[in-house]
Amino acid sequence: MKKFTRYRAENSPQAWLFLLPSLVIIAIFNIYPLYQTFKLSLYKGSLNNLTFNGFQNFQVVLQDPKFHTALSNTALYAFIVVPLGLIIAMFIAVTIYEKVRYKDFFETIFFIPYLTSIIAVGVVFRFLMNGDYGFINHLLSFINVGPINFLDNPSMSITTLIIFGIWSSLAFNIIILLSGLRNVDQGYYKVADMFGASKLEQFIKITLPQMIPIITFLSIVNFISAFKVYAQVYAVFNGKAGIADSATTAVFYIFNKFYVENRYGQGMAAAVILFLLILLFTLIQNYVLKRISK
Amino acid sequence: MKKAYSILAYTFIIVMAFVTLFPFVYMILASLMTFQEATSIPPTLFPNEFQWSNFTQALAQAPFDRYFFNTVFVAGASTLGTLVTSVLAAFALVKLEFKFKNFILMGMIALLMVPYEVIVFTNYQTIAKFGLLDTYQALILPSLASVFYIFYLKEYLTSIPLSYYKAAKVDGCSDLEFIWKILIPMGKPALFTMGILSFINGWNAFLWPILVTNSKEMRLLSNGLSSFATESGTSVHLQMAASTLTIVPILIVYFIFRKQIIRGVVKSGVKG
Repeated sequence: MKKFTRYRAENSPQAWLFLLPSLVIIAIFNIYPLYQTFKLSLYKGSLNNLTFNGFQNFQVVLQDPKFHTALSNTALYAFIVVPLGLIIAMFIAVTIYEKVRYKDFFETIFFIPYLTSIIAVGVVFRFLMNGDYGFINHLLSFINVGPINFLDNPSMSITTLIIFGIWSSLAFNIIILLSGLRNVDQGYYKVADMFGASKLEQFIKITLPQMIPIITFLSIVNFISAFKVYAQVYAVFNGKAGIADSATTAVFYIFNKFYVENRYGQGMAAAVILFLLILLFTLIQNYVLKRISK
Repeated sequence: MKKAYSILAYTFIIVMAFVTLFPFVYMILASLMTFQEATSIPPTLFPNEFQWSNFTQALAQAPFDRYFFNTVFVAGASTLGTLVTSVLAAFALVKLEFKFKNFILMGMIALLMVPYEVIVFTNYQTIAKFGLLDTYQALILPSLASVFYIFYLKEYLTSIPLSYYKAAKVDGCSDLEFIWKILIPMGKPALFTMGILSFINGWNAFLWPILVTNSKEMRLLSNGLSSFATESGTSVHLQMAASTLTIVPILIVYFIFRKQIIRGVVKSGVKG
């Protein structure tokens, strides 16, 4: 008996034709550069004259005090901006959702910083934070604080960066948290009201547990982008890493090694280290948050 | 007690809204001040007379009109390219069966985890090797396709029943006709959101333009503004005018398409 080959109308090799444009671009600009990054991290010399260098680049980078500063600045930034940004955003989102009329109006306002060019906003913040005529110092003078030298004092740089980082991270968090709050089953609150649970109890016992997946998602996304912080530094210190490089971060370090000093191998070694750190941290965080939610 | 809570809530939310909005409001106000007003101690809040000439002065010092055109052109071309490549790829991934499909999907998911900052520098080398530094091609080419948007569109198109495709096939419809007549009209909301988000991303992009452009003529608004801020030194009123030129167009787009943009960001979960 003749075997029927399984015929399916949608078994179609022409799919490759449709995938081709995307695959070409992705291969050249996503896959090849990844391979190059790993390759270059093991080589030294100029691009036309590469010599294999083993793990020397990694040794140099790992022993470079500048890289230590960059990493500790990045970690400090991430561990302050992410939790604070999430907590403040949570307060704002819950207030909008539960207490305030004109929800759409406030949602619209709080989302604006997400869309606006970080460079342009940075230029404005430099103006507002100016030590002499800045508006923030003017406001602070009413409560007898300052004047604070936000921009030109090495020991203030990270604080300035953190303030700017929190300000610019709120928009995304608020929007995502609000959408999460809207999806919490209203039935739970009705039952809780019937049993006379206070609003605070309801928040801790109902809202928070239901929001765990969203908070997990947000903290991972926020941590990843905090580890890659670069735009905020560039914007608020006008293309520098703060006065005397006091606010240098991991990506800034890579940028300088690669683009300014042309030490490609070392720059890419630092990039590989950052990549691995981000991966590792994401996995740990995923694991910990899963344990907590159980 | 309830009333006290309510007052507290409103105070809190209004203070936070003020903190969010004030930089933009003050940017626009200061863009209309004289230099003396902008740098006075204590600071001026409202300009005595609107100095519209700040804008012409900023334009005279740096070619912001050119930056503006470049930005619209580059963001527009990238968006159009992304839309076309993503529709084609998403069609293949949703409606067609082929060998190695799962392999392609897994590969793409893996690529999503690679930070942009890890590949952007070696991309710069690729562009340099092609001899394309300081050209529009350099600015546009890498963003002509995006794994992220292919997935975004794929999720959306999955909801279109496969039987539509089969029926179209039975009626002698070619794949391209199916994409053009059924997939695109049905995917319009997703395509629209994707288009706006990709355009805004292109508008605000700055690491890539800094790397691949060096002449003034090729700069985009973001890196043009950043170098203007360095060159113009203490002329903060002009810097505020230039920032206003960069920010206000996006604000207008936002106020028109507010709903679509917010929904799109919530659904896709891209942190800017």
